[in-house]
Amino acid sequence: MATGPATLAPHPSWRRVRTGDTTVAVAQRDALGTTARIAVWPPEHAGPAMTAVDDVLSALDLQASRFRPDSEISWLHRAHGGLFLLSNGLAEAIRVALAAAAWTGGLADPTIGSALISLGYDRDFAAIDPGRPDPPAAPVPAPGWQSVRLDGPLLHLPAGVLLDLGATAKGLGADRAVRAVQAATGNTGGTLVSLGGDIATGGTPPAGGWPVRVADPPGLPAGPSGTAPAQQVRLARGAVATSSVTCREWRRAGRVLHHIVDPRTGLPADGPWQMVSVAAASCADANAAATAAVVAGAGAREWLAGTGLPARLVARDGEVSCLGGWPEGDDEPVDPPVGSRVYCGAGPRGGAR
Amino acid sequence: MDSDREQHDGRVPLPGFGAPAPGDKPAPDRRDGIRHARRMSNWTLAALIAGTGAATVALAHHAFPAATGTATTAAGPAGATAATGTTASPGTHGASGPQVTHSVATTSGSGVTVSTTTHTVNGKTIVTRVRHVPAYHDN
Repeated sequence: MATGPATLAPHPSWRRVRTGDTTVAVAQRDALGTTARIAVWPPEHAGPAMTAVDDVLSALDLQASRFRPDSEISWLHRAHGGLFLLSNGLAEAIRVALAAAAWTGGLADPTIGSALISLGYDRDFAAIDPGRPDPPAAPVPAPGWQSVRLDGPLLHLPAGVLLDLGATAKGLGADRAVRAVQAATGNTGGTLVSLGGDIATGGTPPAGGWPVRVADPPGLPAGPSGTAPAQQVRLARGAVATSSVTCREWRRAGRVLHHIVDPRTGLPADGPWQMVSVAAASCADANAAATAAVVAGAGAREWLAGTGLPARLVARDGEVSCLGGWPEGDDEPVDPPVGSRVYCGAGPRGGAR
Repeated sequence: MDSDREQHDGRVPLPGFGAPAPGDKPAPDRRDGIRHARRMSNWTLAALIAGTGAATVALAHHAFPAATGTATTAAGPAGATAATGTTASPGTHGASGPQVTHSVATTSGSGVTVSTTTHTVNGKTIVTRVRHVPAYHDN
């Protein structure tokens, strides 16, 4: 078992994770309604890494959380439309979300805020009544990302349009966190940051790449081909993200709802996939692509093939499909193409405050 | 004697060319010299070829560790790769980081899951809701 670095002690909110390797330090804490995890080498980087990630996550939460009344995006929503001068951080987050919407043809659309609220996802997930007997409100199709205009830090948000950056924000947060850690450690060593399973890497990876588990829900039946549902891959660069309809689900009037909404209908995506994992140059790309694939449903294979991104799709019956060079074996490398489509990382180093 | 080797137009033939002059060294010595030079050239060429080949092999070994690792695994006993922790792969891209054998993170759908169970006790419906981070999630 790993002994772990002593530098973890000054950060009580982080918990050390023993993975069995002493060459890296791994720690995690609750953040953004889910779990944040970091892995760094050399292990002595753990202290500055945790501080850097804390800063990034605090800034992101204050910028883009629609569940915090004091967040910048909540302030926008309360204004009921208008022209706003945004902070660099929120401007970047919205820019990435709009770029993702354009790239995915609107499959990952940030204007689904009203749709999610009508379904009952109107507060932090932990506070949602998981089994209300009353049915949800009538579905609200997204007004469309084209209705939102962003010019530098200036945002024009039409009245009645509520933003939800869920398809890109966690990925962007992981990307920012990795950049911040690398900056804090003099761009030496290597860093992996996971926000709720959306994973970004930076610096020099371990030999062969970071070992990352790609897990499927427990009890998932093996597919018709008998494919094993769990896998470990090696990520030497870039990012990997997963979207699933089995997490963050709740019930209204006996109907199971989840947080991945089809912008066209305003209803939870009802396609053949229960989980899609995508590797890309940036975690924002991977996050958006995974969400878009779930929403695309039967068209997911074709859309993903057009992107050239490695992807792993798990159907509702457990059948696993690997596309774009995603390895079928265990402990094999997944090698995303170079070049992000939605996030150039051009914002202020360390997280675009 | 030099005057004896002078031609009428002032040109002086190289040794071994033209009619042997009195006092010239015999032709077989010159042929031996040429043979010696050729032998040395052949050895030099062979050494160059061997050196280039060795350098090529060394560079290839350095640039494609995965290929070498695969060959080692194929030739060695089953499980040799896992036992030695050799995990080099084409995706390494010149990595020089440490060996890490255990998974450090899990990619999965984010957040919390809710399991709801319904029981009927004495005619009353009791709904139990349990929220938890999925077991397959980083936990």
